[in-house]
Amino acid sequence: MNQVLEHRSAGAAQQTLLEVKDLGISFGGLKAVQNFNLTLPSAGLYGLIGPNGAGKTTVFNLLTGIYQPQTGSLSLNGKNLLGCKPHEVTAAGIARTFQNIRLFPNLSILDNVRLAGQIRIRPKLVSTFLRTNGYREQEAALKAQAMDLLEIFDLQDRAEDLAQNLSYGHQRRLEIIRALATKPSVLLLDEPAAGLNPQEKLALAQSIRQIRDRFEVAILLIEHDMQLVMDICERIVVLDHGVTICEGTPQTVQNDEKVIAAYLGAIADDA
Amino acid sequence: MSASDVLIEPTSHGVNILKSAAPILVGIALAVGIQFLLPSTVGPYYSRLVIDAGIAMILAVSLNIVNGMTGQFSIGHAGFMTIGAYTAGSITFYSSLLIWGTAAKHGSFLGSGEWMFVIACLCGGITASIAGFVVGLPSLRLRGDYLAIVTLGFGEILRVLLQQTGKVVDNAEIVRNAPLTTFATVPVGGAIGFDGIPKYTTLFWVYAFLAITVIFAYRLKRSSFGRAMLSVREDEIAAQAMGINTSRQKLLAFITAAFFAGVGGGLLAHESGVIISPKDAGFQRSFDYVIMTVLGGRGSITGVMLAAILLSGLPEVLRDFERYRIIIYAALLIFMMLSRPQGLFGIHEIWDFFPRSWKTLPWKKSPREEAQ
Ligand SMILES: Nc1ncnc2c1ncn2[C@@H]1O[C@H](COP(=O)(O)OP(=O)(O)O)[C@@H](O)[C@H]1O
Ligand SMILES: [Mg+2]
Repeated sequence: MNQVLEHRSAGAAQQTLLEVKDLGISFGGLKAVQNFNLTLPSAGLYGLIGPNGAGKTTVFNLLTGIYQPQTGSLSLNGKNLLGCKPHEVTAAGIARTFQNIRLFPNLSILDNVRLAGQIRIRPKLVSTFLRTNGYREQEAALKAQAMDLLEIFDLQDRAEDLAQNLSYGHQRRLEIIRALATKPSVLLLDEPAAGLNPQEKLALAQSIRQIRDRFEVAILLIEHDMQLVMDICERIVVLDHGVTICEGTPQTVQNDEKVIAAYLGAIADDA
Repeated sequence: MSASDVLIEPTSHGVNILKSAAPILVGIALAVGIQFLLPSTVGPYYSRLVIDAGIAMILAVSLNIVNGMTGQFSIGHAGFMTIGAYTAGSITFYSSLLIWGTAAKHGSFLGSGEWMFVIACLCGGITASIAGFVVGLPSLRLRGDYLAIVTLGFGEILRVLLQQTGKVVDNAEIVRNAPLTTFATVPVGGAIGFDGIPKYTTLFWVYAFLAITVIFAYRLKRSSFGRAMLSVREDEIAAQAMGINTSRQKLLAFITAAFFAGVGGGLLAHESGVIISPKDAGFQRSFDYVIMTVLGGRGSITGVMLAAILLSGLPEVLRDFERYRIIIYAALLIFMMLSRPQGLFGIHEIWDFFPRSWKTLPWKKSPREEAQ
């Protein structure tokens, strides 16, 4: 079983999933992102790093249709995603988390996950009102799927609690679960380790790998914690002032002068 | 063992059908009970108040779908109600004239006249929901205050348009032989209101429609649709990112809310002692319903119902102060916002406040068990 899986992910790794070419956007005079390129293979685990304000979150917003790119092209599995609305992008298979947690605070944990899971069903108003047997089956299946996911991430006992009552670390986890509930083929994680303590970060690094293997998703990870990124990412793209200054394996990136300069510069700016 | 490995509990279809139908049947049985027991025990004055409260609840619960569940801010709900009222009223009035030669009430409980009235109310709901679609469209681009202004404008425009309508034609012969141009004036009474609509509205019909409205709202709230609407309220960007077509959900909220408002309008138009008039579409009435939803709690169906009962009874208590009603309402609202900004029940339903032991009825299972 394991061998089969490994074999499959190894074979799939050749295949390009997300293809981004020369993506760009400016806000007024500010060129937030320019000529952004990315070729993400299926089941790839890539990192996107850069100093604060480099344009990383903006890249995610461009990929997910929240911002419409002014230049470039974007396709998933060969299907053009340019001009798609955010919910269409999600339906096509790109899911994300947010840097500033954006759960549905007054909905239960179960509902947060279930909501994301309903992307592939087409409920009817009349059967909802009459609660027909078909409706009941659909809802039961949604609930079972959501509970399955919560169980994998060990949140099943809190299913009925409101999302806002979760601890910060659990909220971050729920954001990932919720994104996975849409059954994505690409998962975009925006600083999932922000605000976590060292142990939690370690656990997160583990689970990001496991998520990739278990759910067979490609992951693009924005993260400030260099250690974490260098440890788990296969390739890394470095942004600075909206421009890609380096792209390659962790070793390449670590030793790149421009990258070192950008980070030292950022530290000098902060000081 | 994971939850979906186990087949979903094979409850028989028959049991499920019963579970689905029971609340509706109970609601209608209650409506029959109210109809035949209430007037003889409390008399006509209080019966009328109970009718008013019922209609107010239909309006408030439906507005709650837009304002409470979906988090949009509509202050034009009375406009939809009035569209329903005029549509239903014209249907019964002119059909009665044509069929029976008089606009007076025809037939008794569940007689032919009452069925015409029920169909007219449903038509009122449909017309109102078409208006809901049209008014909902700008809500896709506007939010907050701007949407409020559009919906407010809708009510006011409707009020002015209704003032321009022609006189009611209440003679069967004239109606039968009238050239179509007579109807081009839209003979629904102009500024003085639409008098002469047969008074079919009874406790039974109000509470039967209320039961359907409440069950619909509740089942909507607990369904995929409801979750999608709530997610729009909670965080629109996140909702989109989870694959929710937020535009669709907002439109759907407007359409369904307007439908029930239209039905409520139909009931109001046929209530004895009421003459619907253009001012019903205006902002004052809309404002009343907004207050009910705010007072009740965001999305809380039972909270909004309680608020509707309290506020529709308030004018009776404050009879002698009618002129100051708006001031008292405003003061009440400010007090409420300061002391309990989340409304009476907040986001909860009334049973969320019961002790746990009451809620876990023997046949109810925890979500964990249910999924297994
Ligand atoms: N909607 C927007 N309007 C104007 N400027 C924006 C907008 N979104 C992002 N920016 C700017 O783009 C730059 C990149 O921001 P962002 O992508 O959030 O950086 P980070 O790499 O820290 O995630 C910043 O200078 C930010 O102020
Ligand atoms: Mg960012």
